Parts: sequence; C-alpha cells; structure tokens
Amino acid sequence: MGKFIYLITEGLKNIWRHKMTAMTSAFSLFIALYIVGLIATAGNNTEKVLHYLRSKYKIEVFFKQDISNEEAVGLIHKIKKIKGIRTATIIEKEDAVRIFKDQFGEDITDLLGYNPLPVSAVVNVRRTDQNILRVDNIIKEIQKVGEIEAVKYQGNLIRKIEKNFKRLSNYLPYLSGFIILITVLIIYNTIKLSVYSRKELIRSLQLIGASNMFIKLPFIFEGVFIGILSIILVFPALMGSVKGANYILSNYTSYGVNLAFDLSIWVWLLSMVVIITFLSSYRAATSFLK
Amino acid sequence: MIEFHNVSYAHNKGYGVNNLNLKIDEGEFAFLIGPTGSGKTTLMRLIYFDLFPDSGSLTINGIRSKKVTKRKIPLIRKSIGMVFQDYKLLSDRNLFENIALPLHVLGFKNSNIASRVEEALELVGLEKKEKHFPNELSGGEQQRACLARAIIKEPDLILADEPTGNLDPVASFELVRLLETINETGTTILMASHNYNLIKGRGRPIYELKDGVLRIR
Repeated sequence: MGKFIYLITEGLKNIWRHKMTAMTSAFSLFIALYIVGLIATAGNNTEKVLHYLRSKYKIEVFFKQDISNEEAVGLIHKIKKIKGIRTATIIEKEDAVRIFKDQFGEDITDLLGYNPLPVSAVVNVRRTDQNILRVDNIIKEIQKVGEIEAVKYQGNLIRKIEKNFKRLSNYLPYLSGFIILITVLIIYNTIKLSVYSRKELIRSLQLIGASNMFIKLPFIFEGVFIGILSIILVFPALMGSVKGANYILSNYTSYGVNLAFDLSIWVWLLSMVVIITFLSSYRAATSFLK
Repeated sequence: MIEFHNVSYAHNKGYGVNNLNLKIDEGEFAFLIGPTGSGKTTLMRLIYFDLFPDSGSLTINGIRSKKVTKRKIPLIRKSIGMVFQDYKLLSDRNLFENIALPLHVLGFKNSNIASRVEEALELVGLEKKEKHFPNELSGGEQQRACLARAIIKEPDLILADEPTGNLDPVASFELVRLLETINETGTTILMASHNYNLIKGRGRPIYELKDGVLRIR
C-alpha cells in the first residue's frame, strides 16, 4: 500500500517537476476536449434550435368567401387531425377586419360597405418530430379538406431548414467520431512525447531493479492527473461559451433560443479523458520499456 | 557469485566479448581493465542481464542466464548495485530522492528510508548535500552520490563501470578507497577501469580485457 501511495505521489510530483511539459500537455488536451465539448453541445442544442424554428413556421389557410365562421370551425377540426399539425387557430371574418385595421389603419367595411375578408386559419406544425418535416405533404392534406381558397406558407425556407437539419443529423455522428479519433491521437502523442522526454528516468529505474509496473504507474497517474486538470478547465470554458452565445443571441439577434449546457456532456468527456489518458500513458510507457 | 563459462556476445557492429571464462567469488573485489571498446561494459551488461550471451552461459548469485526470464530481471537487479561513469542520477530529483529511489523500489517504509539515506550519504561524505540537485554537485560528488544509491539497498554485488572515468586523480583515489571500505563489509565488487595506475598494487585480482578476450594480469 505504501508503495502504491508513493507511486501516486510520484505521478503528482512529476507534474510539478516537469511543469512546462505538463502545462503544454494540459493545454493540448484542453483544446482538443474543448472542441469535442463544443461539438457535443452544438449537437445537443441542434434539436432545440430546430424546434424553435419549427415553432415559427406559419401556414395560413384561407377559406372560400362564402364559408361562415361556424362552417370554418368544422373544417379546422379536420385540419387539426392531419398528421404533423400541432395547432390550428381560426381567424374569423371580424378578426380579419381588425387585423386589417391594425396593419393598414383603415376599416375595410367602411371603405367597401361590406366585409370582403374570408375566414382563415393559422396552422402550426408539430415541433418535436424526429424526422424531417415534409411540409408539401401537409399542404396537400390541408387542401384535401375542401372549401379552401388558398394556402400560404414559406415553402422554400421550410424545405431548406429541414433539409439542412437532416444533413447535419446524418453527418454529426461521423464528424464527432472523426474529432474524437483526432483527440485520442493528440492525447496519445502528447503523452508519448512527455514519456519520451524521460527515457533517462525509465532506463535508470530499470537498472536499479524497478518492475515494469513500478515504472509505468507514475506515468499513468501523471497522464490521468493532467487529463483531469484539462477537463476541469474545459468546464468553465464550455459554460462560458454557451453563456456567451446566449448573450449574443438575446442581445444582438431576434432568435429567442436559449442554448443549454448539458452537464452529462462534461461527465462524458471526463470519463473519456480518464480512459484515454490511462490507456495512452500505459501504452506510451510500455513502448519505451521494450 | 559471478561465473562465466565460454561466454561470447557480439554487438551488431561486431565488437563484444569472445569465449569468456571468469569466476569472482563472494566478497571478492576484482578489477577489470582494458582500453575503451575492449568489451568491459559489455561484460558488465551481461552480468546485470541487460544483454544475454550468444553462446556459453553465466551464473550470477546462483541464477543461470539460460533460466532468466524478462520478469525475473528486476528481481535479480535488486541485489546488484550499479555505479556508472555518467552517474545516471535523475536530474529532476534532489540527492535525497535519487538515493532513496532503490528503497522505494524495494518497498521500504518512509520512516526507514530517511535514516538509511542519511547513513549512505554520511558514508560517502555528502551528508549536507541531500537537498542539492545533481547539477549543483561536482563530478566527484555526483559519483559518490551514485555510489550511495548503489550501496543503500545493501546489495550482494556492486558493479562499477568506469566510475573514475570523469574524475580527477584525487577523487578517483578516494572513490576506490570508498569501494574498498564497502568491500570490507562483505559486498562483492567488480570495478571496470582503463586506468591501470589507479588499481595496481592493491592486492586485488585484475582481469584484462583486450578485443573481447579476457586474461588475468
């Protein structure tokens, strides 16, 4: 037990003895993990952004001129039952007159002597669908309800948003895998360089009869400590980035999205860095023991 | 203690040792002499199993080279103290930490380590330098520190490979005297040197290596 404690303290002391090397390693690890954390946080918030954008999709359904408010209510019930639709709100003829007056400052009934505005409905789509939202299919289904004069919607914009989201969802796992692979290589090579710079120590320990495990353990502890140090620094950096992004979004843009930092991402990064630094240090030390 | 039977070893570049036969008994202090490149270091490396013979066999402390596995090497080296021409002290640790290292390897408790390091430092005359780092010491002091590191674990055998190679005549003489003092406690010592004047007339066996071939002088 005493030997084990000695080896742990040696791992810690090695960080102090080789401050510059340790700082360089910790900084490299910090950068790599920060990038992985940012990508994971972005991936985690993608759905949130999509849900926000979907909440802004607006489909306006104008019924035929002769449809009364009561008849429109029945038609709207049918529209609500269409797959992919979240809400449908009726805008009665009288409401339409009021909206017209708000927008143009004139009462259309006074101008024309009658109300020419039809009953309409504002339709919102379901936000939380995992799959791509096919707005054209929804429009076709709405038109099948009948008694509809026109349907207005931002077709091109919705199609672009949905297509890009789908593309991002498809490529994100590959991108994350690639970034993680690069991170593993960076961590491994950083630790290997650090071990390489102390070949003399390994040789001396071998000559005084130290077992391979006695030689390896301080390097392993040192690697893991540096990994933990860097991941501790990643936490405020990621929090700060998310807060900064939220500040910019709320103060300089009209997007009402509040990005979230998921603590589980940090816990996942912590577990990843402990495992990677452990294996990398073990492998690096082993390669110089041959 | 040390027995070579027709041991040959050739490095890739050709040099090495050829058909060596050597016997050093327990408690003996023997010198190994020869010019640079004659095979002294190769012979030493064969003893601490850093190299294995191409042919023949050697026995160290009753352990035959043919039976030595990689896992056993650290155990064997625990009973051998080594002194090198280039000291091999760890530059990032102070003298105390350098000398205590073999005891940590052997699993000694911290409470025992401090007193043993003090004793070893006192024996080599460096008792006030325990906080110094190797680069703060002279060559002679570094070599004595290296000797302290070798003797602290009370080894059965001390191998000193050109320990006086970087020292002035006075420091060299003092170091050999120190080794003789240690030998008086029963430790077997084999010291390699190319300085015949330093070792002659001491009443110890002197083995001469020339072009990988050994003869007694």
